[in-house]
Amino acid sequence: MAQAAPISQPEVELTYEVPEQVTLLNDAWRRLKRNRIALVGAVIIGILLIVALISIIWTPYPVWLQAVGPTYQTPSLKHPLGLDQAGRDILSRIMGGALITVEVGIGSAIILSLIGIPLGLIAGFYRGKVDTIISFFINIWYGIPDLLVALILVFVLSDALHLIPRGVLVIIIAFALTRWMDVARLVRGQTLSLREREFVEAARMGGARDFAMLTRHIFPNALGPIIVQATFAIPAAVLFEAFLSFLGLGLPPPTPSWGAMAADGYHGMDFAPHIVLAPTVALSLTLMAFNWLGDGLRDAFDPRMKR
Amino acid sequence: MRGTLVYIGQRLVLIAVTTILVSSIVFLLLHQIPGNAFLNETRQTPEALAAQLHHYGLDLPLPQQYSNWVNGVVHGNLGESLVNHGVKITPLLLRETSVSATVGFFALFVTIGLGLLLGVIAALRQNTWVDYFASSAAVVGYSIPSFVIAIFALLVFGHYFYIWTQGTVYYNVGWGDWTQIPVPAIALGLPYASYVARLTRASMLETIRTDYVRTAWAKGLKARIVVLRHALRNALIPVVTILGPLITGIITGSVVIENIFGIPGLGKEFITSILARDYNIVIGVFTFYAALVGLANLTVDVIYPMLDPRIRY
Repeated sequence: MAQAAPISQPEVELTYEVPEQVTLLNDAWRRLKRNRIALVGAVIIGILLIVALISIIWTPYPVWLQAVGPTYQTPSLKHPLGLDQAGRDILSRIMGGALITVEVGIGSAIILSLIGIPLGLIAGFYRGKVDTIISFFINIWYGIPDLLVALILVFVLSDALHLIPRGVLVIIIAFALTRWMDVARLVRGQTLSLREREFVEAARMGGARDFAMLTRHIFPNALGPIIVQATFAIPAAVLFEAFLSFLGLGLPPPTPSWGAMAADGYHGMDFAPHIVLAPTVALSLTLMAFNWLGDGLRDAFDPRMKR
Repeated sequence: MRGTLVYIGQRLVLIAVTTILVSSIVFLLLHQIPGNAFLNETRQTPEALAAQLHHYGLDLPLPQQYSNWVNGVVHGNLGESLVNHGVKITPLLLRETSVSATVGFFALFVTIGLGLLLGVIAALRQNTWVDYFASSAAVVGYSIPSFVIAIFALLVFGHYFYIWTQGTVYYNVGWGDWTQIPVPAIALGLPYASYVARLTRASMLETIRTDYVRTAWAKGLKARIVVLRHALRNALIPVVTILGPLITGIITGSVVIENIFGIPGLGKEFITSILARDYNIVIGVFTFYAALVGLANLTVDVIYPMLDPRIRY
């Protein structure tokens, strides 16, 4: 019996045209780089961060030091932004305020996401009763002025209960506790649609546990919109802090909060408008920068949404 | 029509429930606070303090206080001020609501009117200097907080233009003159106007490229008819969807605006009462706010199907 001839296999070199591998973040970054106004926003935020970091180790004068010169002094070479009603150097206080702004903004965005993302994932993934409860909360919260609840919460947590000394932390917590619904709603919606997709099905067939499916498959695919939402939470938190401090319910004096500085300057506005000008311009620029970056990120992550 | 009425009825019940639920949270939060508004009063005998506490029912256990309060709210009675003795809260807040609502409506008018106008003009003159001007104004405007606009409005109209305005922008002698309304209302409405303008421009740009608008042009209709009756009506739909959050924003903003301009409305009362620890009024104002936002959202939802007949309840 002759041996069967081996099946001849044609020696073909298989070459694939490997498409350029692009991750979500790389892709978004490429699109963001073309968006000039978002880049301007990013540069302003960069300056804000640098100023905030510098203010930790150095400011021209201590932020609380009074009477470094005549009160209400207009800008001069020695004091580029002038002095306020207590003779404090406004430039130093603006720098100190930048640090508070950064702390409040970024801290709030982080805590808000830490609350909102898990709740949104759970509501969207398990549906049923859990979803009903979480969605009920979210829907009720959409019908009330949440910032005013946060205002009461700041008051209750700090002044009255002494749970947390009144400071940046209590503002962050109050804001996050009343604002996680935006993120949760977004994540829930994303999860609801992602959980039906084939790759999640495939992961389930592969025996992935729920936790792995949520963290490794669903969450990364919802990351773009989450980043956008978190970016928009930053200016909202900054504005909330300024709003509280302006009304005298926020950070206690002599903390150099921009809102409190605006409130201070507002009383002597008719003869020394420079005091109120510096913090309000700094605040508006910061809010603008974050909104521009947020808009840019939204367009970058989801080009279809471009407007 | 009957369906609409049933829908409105259901929503009203839901608003009542939400209002009580949300104010309950505030009630319970504020009742966690140790101490009360009377501790600062000097020369007060223990008997007098006990009598005060008894008068306000503050000596009862918390569940009892809570059920009394809910019972009061259901009957439209929000209790008595803790600081100004004998002042009933419900009539006080109703009067202040009318002041806040006047300014709020004017602000909403500024927001929607100016926003739509700028948005439509920018969309119709896309990529001309008019568009660039309106778009950049909108992009800058919606980041400037209303209290910053208010401060500068006060500086300009109250100080630099004092000869024209004679100090009427600032409430110091009495509220009720209509000349006091525009400046705070514009300060309150302007940031949201830029938001509405952006949204209107985007949705208008989309709408004017649709086939039915092209048909309308091709039929030889007048520009005014095409823009107002065909394009704008559809372009308005996304704008209407943000009216709810917009009204919430205006209410929140009014708190700081009323304090800057000294307008005797709900927002000023809110802050004054928090600082004076008059918790009964704080809870009362909050109940009003929750009800107002609920009613505003309901109004929006009722108007919505009129603009877009595809939407049914």
